[in-house]
Amino acid sequence: MTSSTNNATRATPTRAILALTLLAMGLILVAVLLGVVDIPMTEVIAALTGNGSEQSDLIILTIRLPRILTGILAGIHFAVAGTLLQSITRNPLADPTIIGISQGATLAVTVFLFFAVYRFNSDANTLYTLPVSWLPFVGCVGGLMSGLVIYSLAIAKRMAALQLTLCGIAIGAFLHAIAMGIVVGWGSSRFEIVMQWLSGSLYARGWEHVLFLLPFTVAGLAVLPALYRPVLMLRFDEDVARSFGLSYRLYFSLTLGVASILAASAVGAVGPLIFVGLVVPHLARFVAGRHFALVIPFAALIGAALVTGADLAGRLVGGPEEIPIGVVTAFAGAPFLFFLLRRYR
Amino acid sequence: MPLRADEITIKYGAMTALDGLSIEVRPGEITSLIGPNGSGKSTALHALAGLARCTRGTVSLDTRPIETWRRRDLAKRLSFLPQNPTSPENMSVEQLVRQGRFAHLGLFQSFSRKDLAVVDWALEQTGLVALSDRDLASLSGGERQRAWIAAALAQEAEILLLDEPTSFLDIGHQVEVLELLDRLSTERGIAVVLAIHDLNHAMAVADNVILLSKGKLIFEGRSQELANTSYLQTTFAVHGNFEASASGEPYFRVPLASTPT
Repeated sequence: MTSSTNNATRATPTRAILALTLLAMGLILVAVLLGVVDIPMTEVIAALTGNGSEQSDLIILTIRLPRILTGILAGIHFAVAGTLLQSITRNPLADPTIIGISQGATLAVTVFLFFAVYRFNSDANTLYTLPVSWLPFVGCVGGLMSGLVIYSLAIAKRMAALQLTLCGIAIGAFLHAIAMGIVVGWGSSRFEIVMQWLSGSLYARGWEHVLFLLPFTVAGLAVLPALYRPVLMLRFDEDVARSFGLSYRLYFSLTLGVASILAASAVGAVGPLIFVGLVVPHLARFVAGRHFALVIPFAALIGAALVTGADLAGRLVGGPEEIPIGVVTAFAGAPFLFFLLRRYR
Repeated sequence: MPLRADEITIKYGAMTALDGLSIEVRPGEITSLIGPNGSGKSTALHALAGLARCTRGTVSLDTRPIETWRRRDLAKRLSFLPQNPTSPENMSVEQLVRQGRFAHLGLFQSFSRKDLAVVDWALEQTGLVALSDRDLASLSGGERQRAWIAAALAQEAEILLLDEPTSFLDIGHQVEVLELLDRLSTERGIAVVLAIHDLNHAMAVADNVILLSKGKLIFEGRSQELANTSYLQTTFAVHGNFEASASGEPYFRVPLASTPT
């Protein structure tokens, strides 16, 4: 390495910060402006400043804006949770599915919908006649419960990072199998309801979802500065981290807890968005280089931009029929995963 | 200070890694742990560092059981370098050495002038000033090992526990590390315990040699005393003999093709 590249990695990457912020803001702006219904820019501005017509108010303020904000918050949650999990498990392929959060949420939502359909005797085949406003809570609680099971196993058995990962994958697969069993046994007519949720979507997400996520976002991000140095320590082997003076169990648990809460609330609100939690941390670390303090802020920015962009693409490409955002992120994420596998070979 | 192990026994399942070992670590003294592979050197160091649970017996620092110490307080007194630690991605030499200051800093506190001076001192002592900006992944095995030693030094602990610190180094760097340890112990009164395979280096550097076999203490004492016994021959199962070196230190020579069949 030459000294000039050293200097380049040393200087605060102001340009990267600016570029990412502009990218995220640009995408958000485009997402507000573009949609299935064409609304002129002047009308959009009018609606945002409180002078819009009834129709543009409805589309901009009640439909597009809360949907975009939900996406931003969920993107931040998945990206930050993935970054924390990859650090503490020291596994570059870790994401919220690895500690069973997504699968726990999936099972809880499946069971809930199953009972809801019978309880309310609904024969509707769409989500909204069901008590959908409960789904975020149900998904969040389900995700947290499976996270808690894996977490207490890890503590009780004094598991190392690799054991924890394997345990999480096993329990996750088990929960997912139960959920799929219910879906298949249920019959194809109701299949769609769960599949729509499972593929991860911002469809029909409103202000209640923003308000559901926001407290978790604020609380989670408020704790993170205190975890910065410990999380850096958690990237070392356990013996090394403890010799450097880290209360390993305490901070491992705390970090796992914060990641679980962020991931579970996001899964509850928008369903499991595959690949966001896996891919974004790598991009963030790549951009941040040695500036470890910037990895989490970068992850948050990229996560917000990625989900906003993926949702925009899903809304526009398919015409009136939306492509669920989870499908878009998986579609874009799969090639990236191949790239990663090549890199870690 | 004294860090001591009292009759500690450590079992992993049915396997006994350490069997009733007692060690006292004294200021300004270098202790070499020697013994065949699997004799318990590494386990003994882990136990002294408070990283292994004793099945029987206790390890104590200032007469307080080591497991009751907060890791943060312990890290200011004692630093431990395991064999072959994994280096995180994208980390420079200086960033690694700075991690040695973790225990001295609050969660939000930034590096003081003193912390930075200690980091510089550790880099100087290990001859890494010119390499301080280099990525750990780009270093040779010996350079990386020295970076880890520097990180341990940056803890400014009075007790230094090192698991085979010279194993991946060429002879020049081996001697450099041993001289550094000697300097630290005489000038700063630091207590050093190191597991080491090179018997002659072990005897040359140590004030106290501990020979382990199958988790049991075979010999403890000065190098010259060890030279009057046949413990090395029996423990390692080799036909070797002691010769007097120019410096007066005992030298254990093992000719090849003399291993008993």
